[in-house]
Formats: sequence, C-alpha cells, structure tokens
Amino acid sequence: MPNNWSIFIANIKKEKLLSVSNILIMTVTFVLLGLLINIVVFSQTALRYLEDQAQVTVFFKDDFTEAKIGELKDNLSKDKRVSALVYVSKEDALRIFREINKDEPVLLESVSASILPASLEVRAGNISNLKPLAEELKIIDGVEEVRYFEDVVSRFKFWSTVVYIVGTLLVLTFLVISYSVIIAALRTTINSRGVEFEIMKIVGASDDYVKVPLVHHGVFFGLFSSSIASVIMILLGVGITLTNVFPKGLGVAFLPGVFIAPWVFSIILTLILLLSGFLLGYLGSSAAIKKYLNY
Amino acid sequence: MPQIEFVNVSKEYDPGKKVLDDVTFKVEPGEFMFVVGPSGAGKSTIIKLLTKEETPEGGDILFNSESVLNIPKESVPGLRRKIGVVFQDFRLLDSKTVFDNVAVALEVADSSLEEIRSIVPNVLNMVGLTDKMFKYPKQLSGGEKQKVAIARALAHEPDVILADEPTGMIDPDSVDDVLEVLEKINSLGTTILMATHDQEIVNAMKKRVLRIEKGRVVSDKKGGKYRA
Repeated sequence: MPNNWSIFIANIKKEKLLSVSNILIMTVTFVLLGLLINIVVFSQTALRYLEDQAQVTVFFKDDFTEAKIGELKDNLSKDKRVSALVYVSKEDALRIFREINKDEPVLLESVSASILPASLEVRAGNISNLKPLAEELKIIDGVEEVRYFEDVVSRFKFWSTVVYIVGTLLVLTFLVISYSVIIAALRTTINSRGVEFEIMKIVGASDDYVKVPLVHHGVFFGLFSSSIASVIMILLGVGITLTNVFPKGLGVAFLPGVFIAPWVFSIILTLILLLSGFLLGYLGSSAAIKKYLNY
Repeated sequence: MPQIEFVNVSKEYDPGKKVLDDVTFKVEPGEFMFVVGPSGAGKSTIIKLLTKEETPEGGDILFNSESVLNIPKESVPGLRRKIGVVFQDFRLLDSKTVFDNVAVALEVADSSLEEIRSIVPNVLNMVGLTDKMFKYPKQLSGGEKQKVAIARALAHEPDVILADEPTGMIDPDSVDDVLEVLEKINSLGTTILMATHDQEIVNAMKKRVLRIEKGRVVSDKKGGKYRA
C-alpha cells in the first residue's frame, strides 16, 4: 500500500526532467554557499597568518647604543599595544644576512657586522596599532628607519571584504532562485495531482496526509542537492589538507587564536550545508502548499 | 432526531449574490431525499456546506445534532468519513484500478492492509463490480464508473451518502443500475441526499423532494413530483 515515501517517489518519477534540473540548480546554490564559507574561512586564516607576521622593524643608527636600545625595549614591553619584541643585534643581523646570502661568497666577504644596523622587531596584538607605533618610533632620536607592511594587510582586508560582499550577494540570489524552484516544482506536482488531492480530502484525508509527501518532496530536493555540494566541499577539504597550505589549521573567525583542522572544518561545513538544504526544502515546500493547496 | 438539519442557512460566493437564502430543512436517518432545481439553484452548495468544503454566511448546519460550523479543522476528516460523496464526473483516478480507487478512501484513514483487503471487495460486491476489481476506469462504462465512486463513498460505512447529479454523465441504460444501487444502500439504513434536475428519475422514484429555486426552498414534499 502506498505510504508517504512511495507517493513521494512517484512524484519524482512523474517529473524526472524537472526534478533533475531543480536538483542541479540547487546543487549550484549549495556549492556557491560552500565556496563562500570556504573563502571566508580561508581568507580569515590567511589574514591571521599575515597579521602574525606583521611587525614594525626599527633600525637604529650606529650611535644608538645597546643600552639605549635595551631601555627602549623595556619601555615598549610595558606598552599594552605591543605583543612581542625581538632584539636583533648587529651580530644577529650579520648571521641572518649570511644565512640568506650563503650562496654568494663575494657578497659575504664584503659585509661585516659593523655596517649592518641593529634592529628591534615590534609585534602588535592588534594590527591596527602598528601604524601609530611606527609613527611614535620614527621620531625617536637614534632611529634610522622604521619599516612595516601595513599596506599588504590593509589591501588584503579590503579585497577580502569585496569578495565577501559579492559572494554573499551571489549566494543570496541563488538561494532565492532555489526557493522559487522548489515552489515551482511543487506547483507542477500539485497541479498534476489536483484531482487526487481533491479526492483525498473529500474521502477524509487529514491535512497532514496530503501535505507531508509534498514537504518530503521539497526536503528531498534540498537535502539531495546539499549532499552533492557537501561531497564536493569535502573533496576540496581533503585537497587542502594534503597540500598543507595552512599548517596551523584554519582560523575560526569569532575565536581569535583558535585554529581547527581542515577535516573538522569539512564536517562543520557539511552540517551547515545539509541544514541549509533541509531548511530551504522545508520552507519552500511549506510556502508552495500554503499558496497552491489553500492550507 | 434529524440526521441533517439546515437552519436558516445563507451562502454567497460573491458579495450580495446569495446562492442559498435562508434555507431550512431536516433529513431523518434512513431517508432518501432528492434536492431538485435548475442549474445554479444551490443544490451542489448544500453538499459542499455539509462536508465543510464551504462555510455559510448565516444560519447553522447540524449533522447528528452537532453543528458542522463548530467542528474544528482537525476533525473535518472525521466528518467526511461519516459522509460519503458521489460526484457527477465520478472523480476516479485513471492510473489506479477499481480496487485501488476504492482503497484510497481507506488508505487516507490509515486503515490496515487486512482491513482494506476485507472492506474493498465487500463494497464492490455491494455495487455489483466484483468482476471488475482489477480493471482501470478507462475500461468501464459510465454507469460502472459511478458505481466505483459509490463503492468508494461506502468504504467508511458512512451515515449519509450525498450524490451530486450522479446520473448526469452516464448513459440512460445505466441510470437504473446506479439508482438501484443507491436504493439498496438506502434500504440498509444509509441516508441518501441526491441532487438532480432529472425529473424522470424523481418522478419515478416517488421519494421526498426538496425543491430549490434561486437559493430558496420553494417546496418540500414526501413522494413528491418534479417538473423542471
């Protein structure tokens, strides 16, 4: 005897082509949603890495003694904006120089510790504090030069925001399309089975008896499409894990300093996509039932 | 105690255009009553009001002494299982066999497979279609299709059968068969309310006749006659 499941399968079989095209459109929606979430998380992670690297490097004049640098370092260490300080002496600088240029002996011969400046690497807890720190350090006597690469981070932040906005608009557009697709698909089903529903109602079917298979129909579209998108996102996650692009893991936007393994992120993303698929299917089919079945 | 009672019932689909105007009548259990009148007189509306497909603008409708208007939405399926409806256009599902068409009425009520296998052959036997059980509607004559619809209406052993122009789309030779089935059901105690404008049928059957014109009851006579 037919139950909700067999009624639902019959619905799908009746409108094969329509069902396939609906599933394709919805899969594109969920792939886009998954990609957007991926882009947000990846760019946030990349930003974290960049911010971790972002520092002000203060180069000192030769007459600025180590004692004075030590004094400045002590003062800076009390500054709440500063998260870490590394002193690089002339000798350290020479060692680093040699390491970098180890394949160029001619160059190494002409360089000694005395011509390299001592420096202080200043890292800020918040990247926005780098600029004021740099401005303050610039005007200290004995400071030869202050370098920091705020521009790179700012530009990255700007373009990330542009991508988020464009991506969000794209995903919202496709969500609206998918929502309409579910409603249109169910309208076709309701129209083609109008007499059957009428008969069911007149012989005493409860509202749920008529409604539930249609809700299943919508939820199936949502879950099936989001499952395909989830598989694609899991494969992407596996690829990222294998390439080891983010050795520390992926940053969690709302938890500073917390990183999660890419496979954990894949599971979370899959759950988000499946939940979105369920909700989209449920809400779309409920709206169609209300509109075309007068419930 | 009347089984069906219409008390000053008014119904309008468009504002100001009354389809039923202050209609009052009673139907006792086991009665066979014709509701007659020209097309658009309001006969089908009476049936729709009884099954709560429509609600009146005024008055009250009682079924087994309970106001149909006060029945909550979730109890409407229960009401419809006590009232079997037969339509002029049969409303059968072409993709289902005779057996399955009748079984639909039981499936929607979550009847078990055993119940369905026991009830469906019984009701088909009652309407004389046992040998057509596994045929499809397209393989049946108009009269046979209407008998399937009657069998479906009987599946829940309803208190009342409402027949809306049941002979309107069948060949004259089959009309008597369908009426015979309805009379048989009535003789077993089921109340029958049949809407028609076929005066030959009404005059031949000599049952109670409720005549409606322009939404108002113009006569109500037992063993009455009808002249269109």
